Amino acid sequence: MARPGFVLEVDERTPPLLIHQGESFRLQKFPLGTRVIYPPDPLPGIRDRRAAVRHALANPHDAEPLAELLTPGMKLTIAIDDISLPLPPMRSPDIRQLILEEVIELAARRGVEDVKLYMANSLHRRMTGAEIKHAVGERVHRSFYPKDLKNHDAEDRDNLLFIGTTEQGEEVELNKRAAESDLIVYVNINIVAMDGGHKSVPVGLASYRSVRHHHNVHTMMESRSYMDPREGRSAIHDSCARMGKVVRDAGIKIFTIETTLNSETFPKPFDFMNKREWEWSMKDQATYLGAKKGNDLGPAKARHQVWMRMQAPYGVTGINAGETEAVHARTLARLHEQQLVEVDGQTDVLVLGIPYLSPYNVNSVLNPILVHCMGLGYLFNMYRNKPVVRPGGALIMFHPVPWEFHQVHHPSYIDFYEEVLAETTEPAAIESKFEERYATDPWYIHLYRTSYAYHGVHPFYMWYWGAHGRDYLGDVIIVGGDPKTCARMGYRPASSFRDALEMAGDTVGRSPSISYLHVPPIAIADVR
Amino acid sequence: MGKGRAFIDELRDLADGWRWGRRPLMPRSAEGVTEPPERWEFPTDWARSDAGVAARDAILSGVMWPVVKNETTPEVFGLDNLTGLRAPVMFISNHSSHLDATLILTTLPPKWRNKTATAAAKDYFFDVWWRSAFTALVYAGFPIERGGGEKATAKAKELIRDGWSLIVFPEGTRSPDGWVQRFRHGTARLAIDMEMPVVPIAILGAHAAMPKGRSWPRPGRPPIRVRYGQPLHPREGETHQELSLRMQQAIAELFDEDRTTWWQARQRAARDETPKLSGPAGPGWLRTWEGSRPIRRRGKPPAWR
Repeated sequence: MARPGFVLEVDERTPPLLIHQGESFRLQKFPLGTRVIYPPDPLPGIRDRRAAVRHALANPHDAEPLAELLTPGMKLTIAIDDISLPLPPMRSPDIRQLILEEVIELAARRGVEDVKLYMANSLHRRMTGAEIKHAVGERVHRSFYPKDLKNHDAEDRDNLLFIGTTEQGEEVELNKRAAESDLIVYVNINIVAMDGGHKSVPVGLASYRSVRHHHNVHTMMESRSYMDPREGRSAIHDSCARMGKVVRDAGIKIFTIETTLNSETFPKPFDFMNKREWEWSMKDQATYLGAKKGNDLGPAKARHQVWMRMQAPYGVTGINAGETEAVHARTLARLHEQQLVEVDGQTDVLVLGIPYLSPYNVNSVLNPILVHCMGLGYLFNMYRNKPVVRPGGALIMFHPVPWEFHQVHHPSYIDFYEEVLAETTEPAAIESKFEERYATDPWYIHLYRTSYAYHGVHPFYMWYWGAHGRDYLGDVIIVGGDPKTCARMGYRPASSFRDALEMAGDTVGRSPSISYLHVPPIAIADVR
Repeated sequence: MGKGRAFIDELRDLADGWRWGRRPLMPRSAEGVTEPPERWEFPTDWARSDAGVAARDAILSGVMWPVVKNETTPEVFGLDNLTGLRAPVMFISNHSSHLDATLILTTLPPKWRNKTATAAAKDYFFDVWWRSAFTALVYAGFPIERGGGEKATAKAKELIRDGWSLIVFPEGTRSPDGWVQRFRHGTARLAIDMEMPVVPIAILGAHAAMPKGRSWPRPGRPPIRVRYGQPLHPREGETHQELSLRMQQAIAELFDEDRTTWWQARQRAARDETPKLSGPAGPGWLRTWEGSRPIRRRGKPPAWR
């Protein structure tokens, strides 16, 4: 049995602890008494994944076996989670490939001819052919790409279908081909509780018209947290669930396949990052030293390449298929088994090391807006019940926050940073004044549809993800952060952790209680 | 802060986190959730091969003995007690310093030394490869589990059967204050089981020269005396407790002999008045104070201090 998660209390015997800092990492000493939240050890992976996929398809939850849902002459659409999952990308074969091969094999045997596949990228950037090939495997890629295996296009008016509105007036607009199919098979990877469930089809295959109803400042402020999708706790998930109901009521049949992965996040030789520091062997320590020095002294381009080529040796811990809600409940249970750590009460300060990767910079650059999203958005929200840090507490993040953007992937981010943030950092003000203009800008739409750019509205969503954290916290300090960039985003830079604690003293007093969320691998604090 | 300074700070952080050994050094709150390190047996037989013996002889005579002579003032008495004795025997001694095994091995005549192995605590001397290799090569060390019972002595018995004499410290660990601690019975039991003679050795001054916590002798070439006693043979029907007591008594007599004369020590022994080695009763500091008292120098004081 894998060891459960664990909260360490730093004492004089505690070695300096690993902390991520963008495309770098370091050992950091923490004050005595600091709580360090470690995720559970990786759960054992399923040995025969193909057999597990076959079993899941043949024994679905609250649904007929997939083979019986497939009939000759039917229209089948398969939607697949896009490049934002998993993080880092999974070492081949990707679990999506194994599932797709089984699903398509079944479809072929059952005489289904009209099969289309869509990467459910919603407003994310299109995936390149090579990226799609890595996710779906060579056989699927060769058989379907590019004619029948495409990126979903949320701005292709001819290929979108208005499905209806929820009782709260939220419009549901989906990929037309998917909505008109006799069956949608959704192939998901769940790495955090935020993903999956009704967030798959009603978001992944939707348009801006639909997505704006849950990706906005109001829902973000009311999602506490969006890593806790239980009803009534996360407005974004409640909204998605309402949309899911509209989709179901419209007669759209969805067969959901969800998978969960274990926490084997870093491949060799970087696997020391998966371990607890006092358990590092001599080899781990030597590897740390070599990797750290190599990383720091190597040219920036080579360093970036090394990080971006990293592929996780994930084990698959669960494959469930069937009706969306029934499947998702099992997925969440398995996910929590891997990620949940019981934490006793809140502290004055939360420390986070922002790693090199977020869902939106795979093969790209973690720009300042994405740093905000990772820190105040995703990692701050890695809690259930209540945040790890008290209201008005301080967040100390480690990241260099350079002024660095990917010109192809993030064009609207650059303008967002230069135009919008220069005027205000207040999410509500940004939303009312700028969002629509960016969302409907023809140039951004053109880049989204024909190049590999994130949708014009995407940087707004990134800013909104951090809205609750921003509102909740008394101070945000970035250790090693570029002063100019930090100032633009409304944060304070510190040159060292000691300085950051000193600065946080203004907000939380001279001897604050501190928690360090030791991620990645991902942990969700269940705060009691 | 300059780049050089930052680099030095980083190296210091790294050194703080560096674990040189396999000794459990873990945060207290992690003790319940950290698995003990995997059991790992360092092979030592190579160190008792002909090549190992030759290498050890060279190291002990060419390096260790000159270092001991240079850093301390060692004297050895009673080696004549080994005359006529046939290997294997068990050398037992009080244990108050890391110098002890070195002192015994460097003062033993070569014919004994080349067939003598040292029982070394597995958890300390055999935790990492480099310490294990050093212990095996220089001391012909073999790992023994403290308080390990039958299983712990299996290797020792195997060596004795092969004709190897053993150096064993029956106290099990170095004395924290210089006074002799209670003898564990495993040593006596082993001697009885294997029907082998026990040669008591008293090492005086080693604690004052290099107590627990030091890795090099104190400056000033402190005097150290190694006294070999007459071998003890397990008697018919003798229990291990009785033999253990005789061993302690023999070492106490050697201490007494050092303090006074052989004749006086014998007289006191006959009257059962040999001073005990367990040290004065009283507060801890007093025991340490008395135990760390340097032993009397013999002969002329050194011209240079």
